[in-house]
Amino acid sequence: MVIKLKQNVIDILKKLKEKDVEVEASELAKELKIDYIVLMSAVNDLAANNLGGFKENKIDYLYLNDEGLDYLKNGFPFRRLINLILKDGKKEYSVIDLKKLSKFEDEALYRAIQNMKKNRWILTSKAAGEYKVYPDVKEAPSLEIEKFITTFEKKSYHDKSKLSKKEAEQIDALNRRNLLKREKKTQRIVYLTSEGKKIQVSKIEPLAEISNLTSDMLLTGEWERVNLKPFNVSVTGPRLHAGKINPLINIINKIRNIFLSMGFTEIKGPIVESAFFNFDALFQPQDHPAREMHDTFYLNNPKQSKLPQKDRVDAVKATHENGGDCGSLGWEYDWSYDIAKKVILRTHTTATTCRRLAQFYKNKEKPPIKVFSIDKVFRNEKVDRSHLAEFMQVEGIVIDENVTLCDLRGLLTEFYGKMGFPKVITRPGFFPYTEPSLEVSVYSEELGTWLELAGSGIFRPEVTYPWGIKNPTRVLAWGMGLERLAMLMAGREDIRDLYRNPIKWLREVSY
Amino acid sequence: MPTIELKIERLERLVGKKLDIKELEYDLQWISLDLEDVNEEEKKIKVEYNPNRPDFSSPEGIARALKGYYELELGAPTYEIKPGKIELTVDPIVNQVRPYIVCGVIRNIDLDEDEVATLMNIQEDLHWALGRGRKKVAIGVHDLDKVVPPYRYTAVKPDGCKFRPLQLENLVLTPEEILKEHPKGIEYAHILEGKDVYPMIFDKNGDVLSFPPIINGILTMVTDDTKNLFLDITGTDYNAINYTLNILSTALSDMGAEIESVKVTYEEDGKEIITPNLDLKKWTVSMDYINDYIGLNLNQSEMIKYFKKVRLDAQPAKNKGKIDVWVPAYRVDVMHEVDFVEECAIGYGYVNLPITIREGCIGQYHSIPEFSNRLRTIMIGAKYLEVLNFMLTNSTRHYDFMKRKYKMEDHIQIANPVSKEYDTTRTLLLPGLLETLLFNRSEEKPIRIFEVGEVIEFDLNEETGGAQELHLSAVTYHENADFSEIRSLLDHISTSLGITNDIEVKPTNNPTYLEGRTGEILYRGDSIGIIGEIHPEVILNFNLEFPVAALELNINNLPIEKLLK
Repeated sequence: MVIKLKQNVIDILKKLKEKDVEVEASELAKELKIDYIVLMSAVNDLAANNLGGFKENKIDYLYLNDEGLDYLKNGFPFRRLINLILKDGKKEYSVIDLKKLSKFEDEALYRAIQNMKKNRWILTSKAAGEYKVYPDVKEAPSLEIEKFITTFEKKSYHDKSKLSKKEAEQIDALNRRNLLKREKKTQRIVYLTSEGKKIQVSKIEPLAEISNLTSDMLLTGEWERVNLKPFNVSVTGPRLHAGKINPLINIINKIRNIFLSMGFTEIKGPIVESAFFNFDALFQPQDHPAREMHDTFYLNNPKQSKLPQKDRVDAVKATHENGGDCGSLGWEYDWSYDIAKKVILRTHTTATTCRRLAQFYKNKEKPPIKVFSIDKVFRNEKVDRSHLAEFMQVEGIVIDENVTLCDLRGLLTEFYGKMGFPKVITRPGFFPYTEPSLEVSVYSEELGTWLELAGSGIFRPEVTYPWGIKNPTRVLAWGMGLERLAMLMAGREDIRDLYRNPIKWLREVSY
Repeated sequence: MPTIELKIERLERLVGKKLDIKELEYDLQWISLDLEDVNEEEKKIKVEYNPNRPDFSSPEGIARALKGYYELELGAPTYEIKPGKIELTVDPIVNQVRPYIVCGVIRNIDLDEDEVATLMNIQEDLHWALGRGRKKVAIGVHDLDKVVPPYRYTAVKPDGCKFRPLQLENLVLTPEEILKEHPKGIEYAHILEGKDVYPMIFDKNGDVLSFPPIINGILTMVTDDTKNLFLDITGTDYNAINYTLNILSTALSDMGAEIESVKVTYEEDGKEIITPNLDLKKWTVSMDYINDYIGLNLNQSEMIKYFKKVRLDAQPAKNKGKIDVWVPAYRVDVMHEVDFVEECAIGYGYVNLPITIREGCIGQYHSIPEFSNRLRTIMIGAKYLEVLNFMLTNSTRHYDFMKRKYKMEDHIQIANPVSKEYDTTRTLLLPGLLETLLFNRSEEKPIRIFEVGEVIEFDLNEETGGAQELHLSAVTYHENADFSEIRSLLDHISTSLGITNDIEVKPTNNPTYLEGRTGEILYRGDSIGIIGEIHPEVILNFNLEFPVAALELNINNLPIEKLLK
């Protein structure tokens, strides 16, 4: 049978045959200038054909530690000192002289002196009353240990199991001086089987191995003859910077979808809004604190808004002053056109739903009508990790005959159920333009807690009557901010991140 | 939202029932109170109440509601007012500055430390909720026994009298000096701005009780020894000052004091009023109306019971299907029959309300968000990442950094931003995208991002003076970003929208972009945007370090509705 091998495997086989000895794999890889992994994969191919293989040895490696490496580079301290002394050429030295000469620390200096004395390079005496050193040689020949340490230059380690007796002595000497560190490693030894040693390389048929299929290969049928290199399928691929829709937009679209499934039609309205639609038409008295400058962005330019048709404006005026035709006492004050004409950035999308009531009147529409809006609103607040000056508001209203507070509860339960919150609590609340009013909390399974999520209620008669929506036709409404919910869904802690666009997060976020 | 701190022990004494904090937490929400904070150790809770219920500004007020909720006391609480001899006259001159005043006397007070704190708290909350920062209503509380009736409410010239004010009792000051030097004078001077005379209350001897709405005189300072109080409530709204007096005097009565009336005579027309007036206000409501609004079918005795639970008086009216309801004088939030719908629902318990579903209607999406979504799909197909930026911006970044010229009078100006960061709203998306690049400078390149969103153009033809336009902008940021790359994107967009044959790009100049590498995008001959390489100065203004190629389209100039079909 003809043996087929890849070309690089054949090359490696040739090399091993030339050597005719077992070799350590990483050494061999270095010698052949190929990657270790490529080599081992080739050795595996040899093993598969019963031509070779590898065995593992556990090995104790001995390396120089940092101090040892310093000695290898700069010489032992005693060598450095004797060199300095011989160069300096004086006949006697005090310890202080030597300290100045060498700049050694006390302990290193002491040991260097002891070593020089042991090597019989110097004599010492206390006869003069002070410890003195007298050089005793003209030159200082290299010691065994100095010669041995240079063997680490060629190969950075010694294999403990392969030391000669003489080498072992020197290793011991280095060890006593604390110049060594040990590391245990597994060594792979590559060998040829007797089969492998016998086989003639010329008898082996080279096998092409390629990484990419080409059009040529497919069309010529070459693909059947080539060996496709296997890939490591478990590692992740290079990063792909794909296009992605923003997570907040995904949440918005999800909510739009829920509204649509409940029969609601989407509406939009102006962001630059009149105080009339933002406040007055919602029965907020003109001296109401929420209208003040520190909550609302007023505009210097444009300065004045147009108002809708006069008779409707006056109907709103009447609700404030005396309740108008809706049976209310009103707020009992003189209502001002000028305050209503002020221009602001809308503080809630209820301004937009209120415009829808005006449209209902103008077009003489018939109930039922269900509309929703998900849009930007603005508050004149300091921006921090939990507050934004502009954010999205979600709002829905139902205009219908004989709709009730219980219907509103049903609507809220259905809506938040579809949002993934089957447990909904509605409690008494207060909003200037709804009566009765509801606070809506939902239970988050994920957080194990109730979240205050929305405000809701039935529009007051003072709000609806000016637009011809009269009992028993009523308007159910609810609204909520989106960002807090989005933070929960997207797992962000800082609300500003939703508009600061950390690209790393946007690239990685799941949805 | 205003808050109030409640000691459980005091609340128990007022309600007459042992209270468990856990149960209280549950119960309070059904009378529209929200538990903010629990201090188990000191047995205190902090409760948030709605601004339409300033009568909840005292533990006494909350106890009234709780007693109804627990059915310990039903119907409207009753208060006895002893007829008093103390009188006050009103000089017509006050019409020029602060026209209304009502008064009351409270006798035999014996307030402990907590109750004194409550009295301060009520005043503060009422000044805010009903008084609009003392402008509409201001409260004065005096030691009755330090001054001699009858009193007179009048107005004096800014230097028309001198007295020792509270807090600066070592100084004898004129009203004018107080407005300039006294901390309260400085704080509230704006209320009297431009007035020729300042309001003042004197006693029989000409001693000053009060300089409303600024400060009282030292003479009537309330101390531990004070036994009897005189209350003056002045303001610009007659109803609001009466509500304030009623809330204050009923709370003091609940603390164990006696209420005594004061006769106030308006000299102008000789009209005499006796205050406080705690008469209940009668309404007649329709049962059908209320049942239909809530979605219940309550009979008369049930409905009467629920009204009584929320501390209203109620009994069958003469007419069939109607109920007469009496509202306590401290309730400021009843102005329409619909307000009784909520009262009845609270009495019934929101938690007990059935859940009903009304079907009907077929929904439809709005074309702007729909088309925006279509653009998003096109953009992510071109490997662009969607970002969202604020509409609020500032002119320096929005115009100067972009080398764009602008006139203040042609753009939206915010009058009063809390943060200097914002002085206008965006007219382009591109500056936001460049800021996003700056914020993400160190991220792996290439960075390709886009935004679909609205901008606002100043436009006096619009009803409110601002016109919203839908824009699409995209930038590519990396070593080799250039015109041809962004041009390919434009081609991809126009192909995907099916308008390739309607789109044309003509060379143009634009200060934000590099000359010779900028094009004006035309749709059937009308300009709809700009495409090109960003000018190096603009790149450097945004602290960026690679080339940027960009485009911005005004989508409003495309036939959105037609393209959606």
